[in-house]
Amino acid sequence: MGRGRFTSKRANFQTDLMSIGSFIVKNALRNKRRATLSILSVAVSLFLLVTLLVALRELTVPPEGEGAALRVVVRSRISIANALPARQRPIIERIPGVEAISPFTWFGGKFKSEEAMSFAQFAVDPVEFPRIFVESKVPVEQIKAFQADRQACIIGKITADKYKIKAGDRIMLSSTIYPTDLEFKVAGIYSGSIDDRNMFFHQKYLDESIGDPGEVGTWWIKVRSAEDMPRVVAAINRAFENTSAEVRAESERAFQLSFISMMGSIKLVVGLISTAVVFALMLVSASTMSMAIRERFRELAILKALGFRRRELFAFILAESFGLAMLGALAGVGGAYSLFTFGDIAKMTNGIFITFEVTHKIVGIGLLVAAGLGIIASIGPSISVARMSVVNGLKTLD
Amino acid sequence: MTGANVVTIRDLSKIYRQGEINVTALNHISLEIGAGEFLALMGPSGSGKSTLLHIIAGIDRPTNGECRVQDVDVTRLNESELADWRNQNVGFVFQTFNLIPVLTAYENVELPLLLTRLNRKQRRHQVNTALELVGLADRAHHLPRQLSGGQEQRVAIARALVTSPRLVVADEPTGNLDSQSAHDVLGILQVLSKTAGKTVIMVTHDPKAAAFGSRTIHLEKGELSN
Repeated sequence: MGRGRFTSKRANFQTDLMSIGSFIVKNALRNKRRATLSILSVAVSLFLLVTLLVALRELTVPPEGEGAALRVVVRSRISIANALPARQRPIIERIPGVEAISPFTWFGGKFKSEEAMSFAQFAVDPVEFPRIFVESKVPVEQIKAFQADRQACIIGKITADKYKIKAGDRIMLSSTIYPTDLEFKVAGIYSGSIDDRNMFFHQKYLDESIGDPGEVGTWWIKVRSAEDMPRVVAAINRAFENTSAEVRAESERAFQLSFISMMGSIKLVVGLISTAVVFALMLVSASTMSMAIRERFRELAILKALGFRRRELFAFILAESFGLAMLGALAGVGGAYSLFTFGDIAKMTNGIFITFEVTHKIVGIGLLVAAGLGIIASIGPSISVARMSVVNGLKTLD
Repeated sequence: MTGANVVTIRDLSKIYRQGEINVTALNHISLEIGAGEFLALMGPSGSGKSTLLHIIAGIDRPTNGECRVQDVDVTRLNESELADWRNQNVGFVFQTFNLIPVLTAYENVELPLLLTRLNRKQRRHQVNTALELVGLADRAHHLPRQLSGGQEQRVAIARALVTSPRLVVADEPTGNLDSQSAHDVLGILQVLSKTAGKTVIMVTHDPKAAAFGSRTIHLEKGELSN
């Protein structure tokens, strides 16, 4: 006797997605408390993941603007805290490819009666400064006023808004580094840079107030072209080799990255936390899906008896798991996106972060993690269901 | 109203392995069941009657032997073929109804039709016909928890019939019902066999239920006893 003449007249499973979809939604939401808690656990975890990724990006991604690509930072080879002699300037200026150079000296001033410094101040060369930081937008008359008055300063828009400072105001800062208090006249407000919180004033004003020690914090240089960058960097490093003030010259990008590395292995720590979040999330989701499916073993056995195949049952489980994970992702990633895009992040973080951009890539990572989570969480229950015989499944207690 | 054989069983055995021990559930059974027959399978617990029913219905596999249903040897179909075959040829009625609790009566009955080529309108017609047949058209949009046990079982019968299978298998369909509901359900199964020509195979402990059948066979220790 042969195998028989059975020929399947089965339809495509997706004959009626509405009916199938409604069945999946009803199943997913049959235990509303568990579904809500599952969605919330995914949402909170993904919110945390997105926050960590954005924080990591904000801390580690160096400026990528055209201006930044042409800037070189020169600091003491020993430590960034060590000052450099002002006499280095003409030597650097003579190096071919150097277009502009300005000192960049940390003042560390406290504003008003604040206990800690709430924004950074740097002493610069007011003429060279606009040539180096081309992305900072300041009205021409304000820049002229800044350059013309030794006591003048320009302040970033965020700080100006925070303290309601406007052009023409006078402000007082007490340095935590130098034994001096300085009064400044606000000549202008700048914006459009990567960090619109800082204040810039005349290096000469600082020098005069502290007895002209002939030192600067760092040199910031603009090179003529990106092609000149490696040669200029090498030339500067070479120029001060075996002197009492050896330097380390590097691109702004390299400087920012090395600056970050000084803060410890933030990337590693954030990476580990993110991995732990994702892993914990996966365990929670897998456990929830397993419980949900175990509860319905009998029903899945009935579906098998009625003619549903393994792959169709897998599709049910996958759709349910994926759907819950994606709802969690919408809430978590969407919530983070809304909060960080439309909220005042400077206020929320007390000025630690000015921008907190949830990039498309980070949104993508969040959604991808959720999708992966949905898929992985469905694998275990699907294997159990595939292995389950109809007869054994029907014996399962409700 | 019986005719050519719908089920032909030859030398069928089923041996379960429980740890180190082999348990013979069915021992070289041979049996023929005609079209339109309402067969009652009786026997004490553990006699193998449910196992036999499961093999005929294609939800369990024998260790040896042949089980042809409408000329198809179901023991030789693979998992997917068996799923399709069940969908198109067998209607199931279980003791505990086994309706999906989140779906209405209508949606429960519609479930097997989601695997067919019928469009929504055709499905609606089939589902309504099946529900009318069991007298529950007015309860189509009730959830199982809103129905009595007897009504749930009638919905399960409607689900078993909706794909128009030739074979309906019922595993103690009245085990959880009061006598009136049991009578109603058995009446429906009887009508299916007598007037619609369905072959109904029912496992039961209850001689009164078996009396509704056109034939009763007894199983004992995995063998036919009469």
